[in-house]
Amino acid sequence: MSHRPVGKVVDGHGLEPPEPFELTMAALDAIDPSESVLLLLPREPHPLFQVLDRQGFLHRSQRTPEGHYEIRIWRAD
Amino acid sequence: MQALLSYDDAPPLSAPLRYYLTAPLFAMLAGALLLFAGPDLLVSRWTPAALAFTHLLTVGFMLQAMVGSLQQLLPVVVGANLPQPLRLATWVHATITPGALLLAAAFLLDTPLLFGSAIALLGFGLFLFIVAAMRALWSISASNPTLLGLKAAVLGLGVTTLSGLALAAALGWSLDWPLLQLTNLHLGWGFVVWGCVVLAAVALVVVPMFQLTPEYPAWFGRYFVRATLALVCCWSTAELAGWRVATALSATATLAMCALFMSVTLRLLRKSKRPKPDATHHFWNLALLSGLLACAVWLAAQWLPAVAAWPRWPLLYGALLLVGGFMSVTVGMLYKIVPFLVWLHLQSLGRGRVLAPNMKKVLPQQRIDRQLRAHLACCALLLLAVIWPVWFVYPAGVALIIANGWLLRNLLYASGIYRSHLVTIEAARLRAQ
Repeated sequence: MSHRPVGKVVDGHGLEPPEPFELTMAALDAIDPSESVLLLLPREPHPLFQVLDRQGFLHRSQRTPEGHYEIRIWRAD
Repeated sequence: MQALLSYDDAPPLSAPLRYYLTAPLFAMLAGALLLFAGPDLLVSRWTPAALAFTHLLTVGFMLQAMVGSLQQLLPVVVGANLPQPLRLATWVHATITPGALLLAAAFLLDTPLLFGSAIALLGFGLFLFIVAAMRALWSISASNPTLLGLKAAVLGLGVTTLSGLALAAALGWSLDWPLLQLTNLHLGWGFVVWGCVVLAAVALVVVPMFQLTPEYPAWFGRYFVRATLALVCCWSTAELAGWRVATALSATATLAMCALFMSVTLRLLRKSKRPKPDATHHFWNLALLSGLLACAVWLAAQWLPAVAAWPRWPLLYGALLLVGGFMSVTVGMLYKIVPFLVWLHLQSLGRGRVLAPNMKKVLPQQRIDRQLRAHLACCALLLLAVIWPVWFVYPAGVALIIANGWLLRNLLYASGIYRSHLVTIEAARLRAQ
């Protein structure tokens, strides 16, 4: 579940959409199914959540004290 | 754990696209009206042709683009899902489109039947949208400046619609209602709360995201919407009560808030990390500078008797605000929203088996650049037409038709890419079976 180790980190700060989206999907392809991807963004990526949902991924989104978002994504069992 | 959004709740591409493809048609119709009515249209803001022209741009062009964008942005930006998005889009679009046409015709022909039909269609379509948007927005427990701004904007659309319907009824049936006060209420809530606040709420997200600028200052996000809404309420109260000094002061303070938003955004755009500004960056700059000039014209007319005595200042203000300001920023945003939506839907439908085309291929930069030049020429000619109507009204009408015809062509190109890629996805799906 969410305790899966982070296989790749995608830092989406300063990138124009849809680059963070594309990098995240590429990272999810590249990691081992037992790992997760950590996505860092200044806001919640609702469109990405929709596609993740459709493609069988789960996610957990957490707001940092600075107002940014850390999103862990992993494949549903 | 964060609740996952259901993709099925998100609007299909055809829901916003129908509004986006209809909006330029209204602007082209406004251009045709300029050609048909000629210099007489620009004698005063109150001529039937000027009222029809203004409402083809506001209820036609702007409303279509803004309702379409909100229907798309509510789920994407704040996670507020509108119920049955395709059915909602079908009903709203099918009523506000003929409603806007009938309203323009009612101004030109001045018949109660046309005003009545426009009131029924626009009233039904807009209240359907307002109720759906309110239910979606008020169902979210989170609180952030964008969400607050969108709530205020929907409220603004409600007041603008109500006052607009009342004005249409008063004109249609020659009712003895306070027309000037109602008009000022309609303009204040329409341009400031529905127009400027929704723009600010969306800008808080899309300017840093797409223009690669720093985030808006925290104080701006915290106070702008609340302060603007409070000032417009003061302005409306003073206007309806007939307090002249309080009206002038609160209206000035409201305009100063709008100018503040534009100045802050211009400053952010100057700090963009883009190596080379693209066309949407220019559309934003043009819109903000034009909006600031419009504010300056309005303030000058309020406080300088010489400007107030010039009969054309409201037309200059309207051209700067509507075409230079709102139309520029709308077109600029469409050039980001439409390719992104096409890409997003194809990405989702491809399910990783078929890759979505690059966003730059969905709508090539060269096409956008050419339309930007046509739009710039259109803005310049309209301003010249306000000052020298006899010389420039016809070139301005032609330019408005060309610029918006070009916009329509570009949007159709992007939707063509979507359709052709769907065929590829379907072929891949059949091969995989």
